[in-house]
Amino acid sequence: MSYDYAVIGAGVSGITCALTLARSGYKVALVERAPRTAPLLRGFSRHGVHFDTGFHYTGGLGPGEPLELFLRYLGVADRIESFSFDEKGFDLFRCDDPAFEFGFPVGFANLREQLLGSFPGERQAIDQYLDQVGAACRAMPYLNLDAELSQESLLQRVIGPSLREVLDRLTGNELLKSLLSVHSLLYGVSSREVPFALHAAIAGSYYQSVRGIRGGGLSLARAFDARLAELGVQVLCSREATAIELGTGGAVTGVRLADGELIPCSTAIATVHPQLLLDLVPEGAFRPVYRKRLASLEETVSAVLCFATCDAPLPALSGSNRFYVPDAGAVNELGGRPVGQGALYLSAAYRNGDPVPAGFIGICPALFSDAAAWQSRRGERPSGYAGYKEEALERLTAQITRAYPELSGRISSIEASTPLTVRDYCATPLGGLYGVKHMVGQYNPQPATRVPGLFLSGQAVASPGVMGAVLSGLVTCGTLLGHDRIRKELKECC
Amino acid sequence: MTDQEIVAKINSSLAEEFEYDLAAMTPETTLFEDMGLDSLDVVDLVIVLETAFSMKVREEEAIRKIRTLGDIHDFVIAKKRQLEGDR
Repeated sequence: MSYDYAVIGAGVSGITCALTLARSGYKVALVERAPRTAPLLRGFSRHGVHFDTGFHYTGGLGPGEPLELFLRYLGVADRIESFSFDEKGFDLFRCDDPAFEFGFPVGFANLREQLLGSFPGERQAIDQYLDQVGAACRAMPYLNLDAELSQESLLQRVIGPSLREVLDRLTGNELLKSLLSVHSLLYGVSSREVPFALHAAIAGSYYQSVRGIRGGGLSLARAFDARLAELGVQVLCSREATAIELGTGGAVTGVRLADGELIPCSTAIATVHPQLLLDLVPEGAFRPVYRKRLASLEETVSAVLCFATCDAPLPALSGSNRFYVPDAGAVNELGGRPVGQGALYLSAAYRNGDPVPAGFIGICPALFSDAAAWQSRRGERPSGYAGYKEEALERLTAQITRAYPELSGRISSIEASTPLTVRDYCATPLGGLYGVKHMVGQYNPQPATRVPGLFLSGQAVASPGVMGAVLSGLVTCGTLLGHDRIRKELKECC
Repeated sequence: MTDQEIVAKINSSLAEEFEYDLAAMTPETTLFEDMGLDSLDVVDLVIVLETAFSMKVREEEAIRKIRTLGDIHDFVIAKKRQLEGDR
């Protein structure tokens, strides 16, 4: 059996590629190392509570908005049920020093009003910031189907300015800058490094509308599975790709699996971390400069996460996340502070089918180097690791209950994951929560490579998150089939 | 750095990173036909120049007009002079 396309990695971008190509009538194989598709999206359960690991909430999923349109195009929108987050405060920001609280409301106009209420002297900065975010969103190819797709629009991110540069020009108010930078936790790059254009695309989509999915990422993963089956995509799970085979002319001939089987194909799409791609292709396939470029891409921040079940429901967390910072500077130091002393993000976890949260997920940016001493293969951590993990969990729990005393005494079970866990489950060499950084000065790879028949997709190519991963799948398929064609087909779904 | 040193550094960097024969490189060598570069390689070309000369060249309009190795020599020499003048 020979395939038109073999897609390596059944994460959201790989699934997006597979579905897009299959709906165009191509024969597609989708190869995944894990036992099931989209492992990060699925999350896991403890004591009857489901914990999302790859998806917590998203922008762009309202009717007629980009992600909703993309999911309709992929044939999964009708298989999931989304719900609106709290329109008055989908994210509650709290700072201790100076003492300050802010609820992000849904909608640019509401946000403007709310910001003016908290920062009455910053009218000009607030107006200009929101205008620039709106303009950058509209300029994003694919998010806006009429936006021009050019080399310049791609280079804009490398050139900058950074979010911090834009904010510094607008205001000297550190608290306001901190507040407007807090969503950097959603893409894992500090405000000094993140291109304003990327921040605007992500934060702007949240300012527009904020939704969750009933049943979480697991529901979306199941919807993807059903659609993959419907379109006849050959899904090969528990099958790790070990090599992309090239013919005598240097073009792709197939994907070799760990068990030795060859999946013959004329085109391979690798959605793996770019550094892991280097192990899949023969040494001479890429030029030295490109190899070095992929090898030196910086990775997003890692994290220590905790997963707690509670002995009583937590209605306050329903449709409303928490962002906590001890001081205004903490947002800019992603992972730069010890666990329990930096920024913190809390999101709700639900018991099966219950609309009221029964637990929570806490995420605290952390450096991979903190955990690097216990590096080993998955499931075989050396002694000492358990102690490190326990201490990290204690610090994180102490910070959470200090910041949110209402949670104190209500936690009935709590478990942690470390940067090593993230490394193994996200397949990122340095435990980056969002894979490779998108940062000013860094040239991330494009979908096309100089190996005939080898294309790339994934967070590194377009943007992070579920929306970014879907987007990167579409951009890669646009490179393969023609951007105009994909955009026309998307418009037909509008 | 003299102009000759700049030219030599450009040629040796490109020869190494793009696996091209240093002896065959002349100012008339075309990047696209002779060296086999394509539009995908332009970013890598920029990275090689930025790394070799510790400067940012990505914002340059002139980079898009480059066709030959000689164009790169002229571009980098002019850029270096401009940076020195700014100091």
